[in-house]
Amino acid sequence: MKRVIILLSLLLLLPAHPSLSLPIPAVDPNGKLIFSLGGEVSVLNPILSTDSASSSVEDVIFSGLTRINEKLEVIPDMAESWSTSKDGKVWTIKLKKNIKWHDGKEFSADDVKFTFDSILNPKVNSIRRSDYIIDGQQIKFVIINKYTVQAILPKPFAPFLSRLGIGIIPKHLLQNKDINTAAFNRHPIGTGPFKFSEWKTGDFVKVVRNDKFFRGRPLLSSIIFRIIPDENATLAALEAGEIDSAGIPPKDYTRMKSVKGINVFEYDTLLYTYLGLNNDSPIFSNKKVRQAMAYAVNKKQLISLALKKQGTPAYAPASPVSWSYSDDVFKYEYDPAKSKAMLDSLGYKNDPRFEFTCIINQGNKEREKAAVILQQQFKKIGIKMDIKILEWAALLRIVNSPKQHKDFDAVIIGWSLGLDPDSHSIWHSTQYPKGFNFIKYVNPKVDRLLEQGRVEMNKNKRKKIYGELNKLISEDQPYIFLWFPHSVIGVRDRVGGLSKPGPAGIFLNIEKVFIKK
Amino acid sequence: MIKYIIKRLFQLIPLLIGISFVSFFVMHLAPGDPTSLFVDPNINPQELARIRANFGLDQPIHVQYMKWLWNALHLNFGTSYLTGQPVINEIAERLPNTLILMSLSFLLTLLITIPIGVISAVKKGSAFDNFFTIFSFAGMAIPSFWLGLVLMLIFSVKLHILPAVGNIVLPLITMTIGSLAGLTRYQRASMLEVLNQDFVRTARAKGLPERVVIFKHALRNALIPIVTILGLSLPDLFSGAFIIETIFAWPGMGRLGVAAIFSRNYPLIMGIVMFSALLIVLGNLLADVGYALVDPRIRYDKNDK
Repeated sequence: MKRVIILLSLLLLLPAHPSLSLPIPAVDPNGKLIFSLGGEVSVLNPILSTDSASSSVEDVIFSGLTRINEKLEVIPDMAESWSTSKDGKVWTIKLKKNIKWHDGKEFSADDVKFTFDSILNPKVNSIRRSDYIIDGQQIKFVIINKYTVQAILPKPFAPFLSRLGIGIIPKHLLQNKDINTAAFNRHPIGTGPFKFSEWKTGDFVKVVRNDKFFRGRPLLSSIIFRIIPDENATLAALEAGEIDSAGIPPKDYTRMKSVKGINVFEYDTLLYTYLGLNNDSPIFSNKKVRQAMAYAVNKKQLISLALKKQGTPAYAPASPVSWSYSDDVFKYEYDPAKSKAMLDSLGYKNDPRFEFTCIINQGNKEREKAAVILQQQFKKIGIKMDIKILEWAALLRIVNSPKQHKDFDAVIIGWSLGLDPDSHSIWHSTQYPKGFNFIKYVNPKVDRLLEQGRVEMNKNKRKKIYGELNKLISEDQPYIFLWFPHSVIGVRDRVGGLSKPGPAGIFLNIEKVFIKK
Repeated sequence: MIKYIIKRLFQLIPLLIGISFVSFFVMHLAPGDPTSLFVDPNINPQELARIRANFGLDQPIHVQYMKWLWNALHLNFGTSYLTGQPVINEIAERLPNTLILMSLSFLLTLLITIPIGVISAVKKGSAFDNFFTIFSFAGMAIPSFWLGLVLMLIFSVKLHILPAVGNIVLPLITMTIGSLAGLTRYQRASMLEVLNQDFVRTARAKGLPERVVIFKHALRNALIPIVTILGLSLPDLFSGAFIIETIFAWPGMGRLGVAAIFSRNYPLIMGIVMFSALLIVLGNLLADVGYALVDPRIRYDKNDK
């Protein structure tokens, strides 16, 4: 039998016809991939960490019940399958069998219940707790048997599916411990493709291959996450071959494209940047004024100057790459003459027609540039925009203040879209003044659609609801939607096995990534 | 001398408490707190309030300070909000890296400054002197973040001799060039001043060899102001480390401090402020003791003869 397998594999290796074979690069069995992280890794526990550096490392050590594919669809990971009851309140999740923790113990329903119960424990400093609370009531997790868990929701809630991807933590190592300060958070044990090996704070984290990974043995022998806080130093390290991959800011795009040995990938992200107009202010409370301003904004010019063309214009609060997106939205393409005419008819005929101040956060070069360009574009139609740069925390204090009237006219800021199209917390009228509807957008039709979208379980019906919602919001222009920035990533050409460039990232299937021999 | 040192060490206690008081209140004046920086539409504001309460941030500020002080007097500096690890451990992991970088740079600076300053003074107006005059001004004018990146481009990207990040050589060179520039000027000026004094003329008149005049008589006196300046430049080295550690990804305490400030990680900020303050006041004390060693006219105790 063994011989047959060897023969077969030899046959597979030998191309039948040389000219027809695809060049398959040889995999280096000792391949070591070196990533760079811009921030410090703080804690390696998926229910506690709040920073992207920590989650990058957690992603390869831990696994969730679900994960996403290249099309951003939720697919099973440690879950085998799931089903919902007719009323949409009971979710039954079946788990895969024979998954092992890195210490050899078997993964089971106990761990799943423990993870979600820990998140819901008020003593645990997890900011993810609200993901599992619906209208003030906690979701209950019940163990049916070793490989089946039920989630009992107080009411139907479609976005719940997108909340199952959080990394599961081992009960046998964390029960009866203070999760906030546990030593585990520095020496994590997961079920993911790589096992934790070493962490030198501020310097690097090393993980090594988990030979028993349930989705298959990873091709890389280890991954090093190097912490390099400075953006320019990161690029120098990439050019010098000290790291294998780095994000490339717009200013370095052209230069890095010409560097030998580095492949540059470019794809849309789920982040959008917008000019938020305080709908509570006397001028911006008029929808017609906001629409007129939208006509005055030349998004192409903005993207070309502020982002060096590394972006896609945004017209609605939904990403063109999402399954819920519909292109049937109001676009208000650049038309300064129309903008002027509208403002004239509204009675804004002085010079300047009106004045307002736009706040932005310090340190974000793209937003700073965009503010200056917008200032010029508005000046052309006779609107005076002042710019005020504030430290991030100072800006948040203004927009998040619980006051009835918030002290700002406009703000340039961004949102990262979640995997689920639900955006109740951003657009629903109840989310003002406390909540993220800080520009006080009020539209009863939008409120109703947001409520419907959450309880509708049918994907096609949801797509219709969100299409309608985005059309309404784009018509109202509570924000002037500006752009979706592209993610630009440089990867050394010795790295193979990347997934198709897209918002899910190019290292989506990390177990298939390898170093060429 | 010993008595003086002990007395000075005791004076440190009220000084450090004063520093902690000011830092604690100034830190809380900055807008935001560790939880307000999460702008995630999925997070309910009540959850942030719960975490604030878990951290004890819902209590009045003077209560928070007294608690901190009481714990700090028992050498308990609390746990970092972000990592859940004791602040002392976090600092202990990072401090050695900063100290290695700083002390090596300090040593290197001294070793280079003194001969250059002396030769420049003795051979005033020579090509050597002119070269180092230009070098000093350039060194002072160039910001360290720029110099660091240029060195990185030359030695790592183009020549491939030194790693760009995580290696001590480039940060050490950058830091040393920065402090060298100013100090060689001081050393030169101080040497020039001494060389024009009566006792140097006397020594020369006695017929002592020039070597003895310069190294035995002049240099010892010319070193006194340098000791002061070195003592005073310790805080500069600390703040310089913030920038250099960031550029070269050197895992020191400076970077930890910057990250702590941006994330409003109060216990860690306080821990770092207190440690830096302690090191700086100890550095000044060391400089004062250093005076006495190089200048026989300075005596700190009445009976110390």
